[in-house]
Amino acid sequence: MTTEAPAALEVRGLYKHFGGVRAVENCSFTAPEGKVTGLIGPNGAGKSTAIDLISGFKLPDAGTVIFGGKALEGLPPHRISRLGLIRTFQTPREWPRLTVLENVVLARWDQARETFWRGVLGLRQGQREATIGELAEAREILEQFGLMALRNERAGNLSGGQKRLVEFARIRMAQPQLVILDEPMGGVNPVLGERMALAIEGFIAIGTTVIVVEHNLPFIERVTDNVVVMSQGSVIASGPFASLRSNQAVIDAYLGEMPTYEQPSA
Amino acid sequence: MTQYLVSVLTEGAIFGVMALGLNVIWGWSGDFDLAYYGYVALGAYMTLVLTIGRQPPPTQYILGLTLPYPVAVVGAVASAMFLALVIGLIALRHLRGIYFSIVTLGAVYVLYTMASQFVPLFNGYQGLSGLVNPMADVLGIDFNSYQYFLLGLAIAVFLLVYLFLSRVSSSRFGLALRSLREDERAAAAFGRDIYRLKLKAYVLGAAIGGLGGALFATYVTAFNTSAWAPLETIVLYAAVLVGGRGNIRGVVLGVFIVIVLIEESTRFLPEIPGHPNIVLALRPIVIGLALILFLRFRPQGLLPERRYMDPIQEKAKQELAT
Amino acid sequence: MHQALLTLGFGLVTAAILSLSAVAFTLEYAVTNVANLSHGEILTVGAYAALVVHERTGSALAAALAAAAAGGIIALAMHLAVVDRFIRRGTPTLVIFIATLGLSFVIQNLLVIIFGAANRAYSIPSGAPFQLGPFLWTAVDIEIIVSAIAITAALFVVISYTKFGKALRAVSQNRELARVSGINANLVASATWFLAGLVAGYAGFILAESIGTFTPSFGFGFFLITLTAAVAGGLGRAFSTMVGAIIVGIALEFFGGYVSPGYNLAFAFGILALVILIRPRGLFVNARRSVFE
Repeated sequence: MTTEAPAALEVRGLYKHFGGVRAVENCSFTAPEGKVTGLIGPNGAGKSTAIDLISGFKLPDAGTVIFGGKALEGLPPHRISRLGLIRTFQTPREWPRLTVLENVVLARWDQARETFWRGVLGLRQGQREATIGELAEAREILEQFGLMALRNERAGNLSGGQKRLVEFARIRMAQPQLVILDEPMGGVNPVLGERMALAIEGFIAIGTTVIVVEHNLPFIERVTDNVVVMSQGSVIASGPFASLRSNQAVIDAYLGEMPTYEQPSA
Repeated sequence: MTQYLVSVLTEGAIFGVMALGLNVIWGWSGDFDLAYYGYVALGAYMTLVLTIGRQPPPTQYILGLTLPYPVAVVGAVASAMFLALVIGLIALRHLRGIYFSIVTLGAVYVLYTMASQFVPLFNGYQGLSGLVNPMADVLGIDFNSYQYFLLGLAIAVFLLVYLFLSRVSSSRFGLALRSLREDERAAAAFGRDIYRLKLKAYVLGAAIGGLGGALFATYVTAFNTSAWAPLETIVLYAAVLVGGRGNIRGVVLGVFIVIVLIEESTRFLPEIPGHPNIVLALRPIVIGLALILFLRFRPQGLLPERRYMDPIQEKAKQELAT
Repeated sequence: MHQALLTLGFGLVTAAILSLSAVAFTLEYAVTNVANLSHGEILTVGAYAALVVHERTGSALAAALAAAAAGGIIALAMHLAVVDRFIRRGTPTLVIFIATLGLSFVIQNLLVIIFGAANRAYSIPSGAPFQLGPFLWTAVDIEIIVSAIAITAALFVVISYTKFGKALRAVSQNRELARVSGINANLVASATWFLAGLVAGYAGFILAESIGTFTPSFGFGFFLITLTAAVAGGLGRAFSTMVGAIIVGIALEFFGGYVSPGYNLAFAFGILALVILIRPRGLFVNARRSVFE
């Protein structure tokens, strides 16, 4: 695997065991900056656990994660997020009783504006202007995602696909260095796939590196520059999607047959 | 008649303060805290031991100072906050859901047991009394008018707390706090320090509870463990739930319905000979039923939580027109 | 040493009652995933039912049976009228938990209306205590311990070897899966609650016998200790709960011997807090737990 770009994320030798189950074993890969890296593998390969380990939601038994040049030594998830690494989850995790607009506005963390005392005393002049500007940005982003009409709806009332779009809008708003998308197509109408692909291109355009975990292989083929394949806790192959089709290790992992790519009937 | 009205309104305002504090912890932060009334009780006890001076034995209790009333209230609130900090530091670190509730239930039972059994603390079951008309001589209020002063004080405090929380609610802090309640993982994924935020909310809620307790002790002039069945928390929860969890206007409505209407209405029921307990027991039954029914049929309460409604702008108007 | 053994003996009586109450609570939890905060009220109802029957018939046996039956009925009613309805709607368990707290309020005060708030007592003579090995027990104490062992053994047989027991275990592990395999999960849940109620109702009777007097709220107080045992054993795991109950029961007796028994609850909760903080899955499960794991 050639990496022209420097690595935005480097995973080295991650281990995680649960009781007797070896969820992640000596998992290592890199995600080059400014590119879309896919993470695929059969069920139980350890992809989600690896994501949890990288984003701080679980603590590794061994191994390191290097992000932005720094080793993330057992940092809690909110710290990692503040460093610029944001992840989504397998099910859409919107904030249901908050509105769509509130969901998006809240995507940006700003300690100075979020303190309790600011809440009591009110924002300073500069902060108020920042808030107004932020609202405008949020509206624009919602516009891009076609959610403007829903902005005052409580996010919990939306359909599954719409919730995913809200999640994407949140990420777009947060402008992280790296975003990890955990099965974004899960439970979503395939029609939205193209929209999501465009959203991912939008992330790249603003300088965000993307990692996508997916089972939907046509989608992976569509959006990724490079793919990492996991099986039974470790990385068994990596390279551009096309090259993996003939990779014996990958075929074995998928029990003989990688799901064939079919042109979506337009 | 006016005297009755004055007392009902005073009680309503005091319970309103307590309910608003609970709303911070449960309505906004999402923690089903069963220790809440402990903070109220501590506020009441501390107000007393800081103002009634030393009473002759066999009455025993700690401190026994005669501080000026406002100072004593501040002390009471501070002690409630300290206790909440201790309990919150332990309970909020790793626990959520029923485990958190059970630990807080345990904590409040320990407090209750200490207060009733360990006499040197707050005089055990007998409790404390003697806080009669604080500030009356300072402000020159005679005995008969004092109830009006107290009513004014209770309402003033209530309004202050209400306005204060209104600001907090519509701030970014309030929004971030509610996102914690909605989905913790997502909140953490977007940079929120869950532990710290929840702890802040917990201590804030407890402070308000302690303030409510201080007012309560002032109103009743006394406090003991019979005023403090740990299940009193349920009445407050019913008020918050019925009115509208998370919505401070709803909380006010809930207090009115649950505490004022229900408590006061059962007072007017006739005594049935042979069953002296019916009237007293009816109130908790109605409250318990209200709790269950609302949880089942209208968990968001009568007034659902408010949200920011983005105004229609020119651009959006055009969009809708085409 | 002699004193310690005596205390141990008393502790075993408490442990016997506690283990029955805790196992019943655990059964309720296992099959519906609900921590039933009104569990203590099942014991209280059992105690009052026994009182009524004993006053009419004078038979302790009839009283015991009445206690069990009343417990079973009230537990079944709790399940059908409240808990099951919430479950069918897919309500989160914390909400149901809150609802059971409301239910506790309601039942306790209904009992106040019917029986009054004052202390009541059975007129069942406990007999003089006599020496049995190193322990000093009354006839009632021995009945309590023996019946607790017998009931526990019966439960063990039912859960491990009968068809119903298998269905119970299946539902407690994975309700959906059990349903798909053809088990009527709702029926199993109702039956389990009824069974748990039988046990808890009887526990209420022997608790009232043991303490001597009872009020409408005595079940709730004991429930808090039950909760300690159940959590220490591991919520939902019946047999380790029993071990937890025995440990807690004996520990309480020793503690009460050195410090005034009024602090029993505080001590129990001290244990509970420690257990939850260090080993929230129970003393016998090795699991490190953080908010997200």
